[in-house]
Amino acid sequence: MLINALMYDGKSSKEHKVVMEFTFGRRVLISSHNIDVALDEVSIESRLGNTPRVLNFPNGIRCKSTENDKIDQVLRDFGISKSKAYKIESSLALTLGSVLITIGFIWFMLTAGANYTATALASVLPQTTLDEVSEMSMNQLEAHYLKPSKLSEAQKNIIQTHFDLLTKGENQYHLHFRASPEMGPNAFALPSGDVVLTDELVALSKDSEFRDILGVLAHEKGHVVHKHSLRMAIKTGVAGVIIGYITGDVSVIATMVPTILINSSYSREFEREADAHAVKELKKMGISTKYVAELFESLVKEHEGLENNNSMMGMISSHPLTSERIEYFKSYSQ
Amino acid sequence: MDKLKDETSEDKEKVVPYKTFEFKGNGKEFFRIWIVNIALTILTLGIYSAWAKVRTNRYMYANTYLNGSNFEYNADPKRILIGRIIVVSIYALFVLFYQQLMLFKIAAGIALVAFIAMPWLIRQAVSFKLRNTSYRHVPFKYKGDISEFYAFFLIHSLLNIFTLFLIFPYSYIQFKKLLLNHSYYGQGKFNFSGRTGEAYKIYFKLFLWNIAFLLGVSLMAGLVTSTGIALLEALGITLDMDALKKMLSPEIITLLGSIFLLFSYFTFISWQKAFADAYFSNFMRNKTTLDKAFFRGNLYPFALGMIGVSNILAIIFSLGLLYPWAKIRYLRYKLEHTYFICQDYDQFESEGYEKGSTIGEEMIDFFDIDIGL
Repeated sequence: MLINALMYDGKSSKEHKVVMEFTFGRRVLISSHNIDVALDEVSIESRLGNTPRVLNFPNGIRCKSTENDKIDQVLRDFGISKSKAYKIESSLALTLGSVLITIGFIWFMLTAGANYTATALASVLPQTTLDEVSEMSMNQLEAHYLKPSKLSEAQKNIIQTHFDLLTKGENQYHLHFRASPEMGPNAFALPSGDVVLTDELVALSKDSEFRDILGVLAHEKGHVVHKHSLRMAIKTGVAGVIIGYITGDVSVIATMVPTILINSSYSREFEREADAHAVKELKKMGISTKYVAELFESLVKEHEGLENNNSMMGMISSHPLTSERIEYFKSYSQ
Repeated sequence: MDKLKDETSEDKEKVVPYKTFEFKGNGKEFFRIWIVNIALTILTLGIYSAWAKVRTNRYMYANTYLNGSNFEYNADPKRILIGRIIVVSIYALFVLFYQQLMLFKIAAGIALVAFIAMPWLIRQAVSFKLRNTSYRHVPFKYKGDISEFYAFFLIHSLLNIFTLFLIFPYSYIQFKKLLLNHSYYGQGKFNFSGRTGEAYKIYFKLFLWNIAFLLGVSLMAGLVTSTGIALLEALGITLDMDALKKMLSPEIITLLGSIFLLFSYFTFISWQKAFADAYFSNFMRNKTTLDKAFFRGNLYPFALGMIGVSNILAIIFSLGLLYPWAKIRYLRYKLEHTYFICQDYDQFESEGYEKGSTIGEEMIDFFDIDIGL
């Protein structure tokens, strides 16, 4: 078969119009330049759209031809396999398949995939690692926001007993009583299982047995059980990679975008999950959810009052308190 | 373009034909290559990414034509993969020591070694890009000395720290000289003769344009909002702010607010980047020669700015699917507004192909560092 090409000798930028002849004896001839080589010595680059095909001959000679279809025909005739990548790119079904794989993968990583990966990662990561990371953040918090608790021993004892009952048989959990005027009424859990409870929150409790505080602690345990911090990190990371890749040129800010978007939308999902966990635990212990619902109501009031004081509370609180969540607890309190 | 002809005819007795670069790729074709690249990269857990990079670059280069001949990208994906593995492993080691094992001294050691190696790695990346690019089977080449890179980064980082980056345009010119004045096409030598004063002028112009643009946009936004409210009031509709506040919880307002801010930010940055790109591309082209041949840039900043903005909007609203189209559109504009004026395209003698390390290139790639070649 005769195929038109441009030939370069690799010594200068001169261009020669030539005709390549592929013979049945598996040889390639360019008679105008006395070239006669075995087909197997010529490396033919894979096809890429309709760009000129590159054929590298021995001695640094290169030919380029736009007659891609003819070259494919030659490859078929001589039983040389075509590039797999081009096969996929040129097939409509496989291209659509690629779109589906990509979208599916991204979707999966932002939803269920983050949970699987978090579980997998958590089982691979040694508990000591989680502990050390938590210890770091705990030290940070201790240094800046947390002060020793001023609760009475009696109060602490009641709450501690609740907590021990809640975490019976699992020794990774530890409860820390702290005062924090900066954070105000708050409770949070670190991935290690360390749960911090502020005096300010205890002060809001209207139940002498602190069954409302128990609800909050059960909620915090839910965050740890469902590995929310790890899942959040994975989702943020995945979204960051995607946004960074797609926007490419504006990557400076791209890493911040997912943090902002995800923090605000996913934190609600996590709160709901932790709430569900709290309801489950409270039910198991036979304690009504009405106490924690009431505590949330007084928190909302406290929050509204604090908003005018320009307090840190609104900024730090990771628990968006909505009437929806209060209703949720109330609905289980019969 | 008339001006262009005048200039060239004054320079030479004979009128030398100027040729624009042509780009023959199209969005549909590139979309397929792009999406298959991503899917195969996912399925192979990232290993295919090296082949993906080569296919993408080959597509871009092979579709770039000058005087009827196209460019070639010759990088070997296997070597790229090795470079990638090395860069990712070093980064992973750093993260492991820094975030997981808390062995800060070892992590700092890794960071220090990487920092010291940086000028070398950047030179490697420049060299990689050039030696893997060829035109008519004659490769480009970088011959800059490594000591010059160390001298440049040492001197200019200190200068910029002490002058609070006021000297940056000077550093820009010096860096471009460091890159271009040691670049070769075959035995043809590139020469960049841009002056510091000209760079200052461009930065100053861009600064003024940005201020004017930001003012213009805020003015427009204010005008639109106030006329909108006035219009509503004229129609007898009053906005009940309290009712609105009750309807939207603070979280939703923050979410909407941050989405709006991000959106404006993306739009502005894309505009600004493309706008500046046009200025600097023109400047670079107009001041660069290859032996006796020379380049001309004829990019319109407003046109490229509009392409940049419409591209980012298209990408956002298509959830990324229009990325290949946008990328090609941008590249096409830049290439088709670049001219090359050359007497003889056959004159360049090749010095042959070289092989070298891929680590620098992959480091640049991984951390998304723009060396602006």
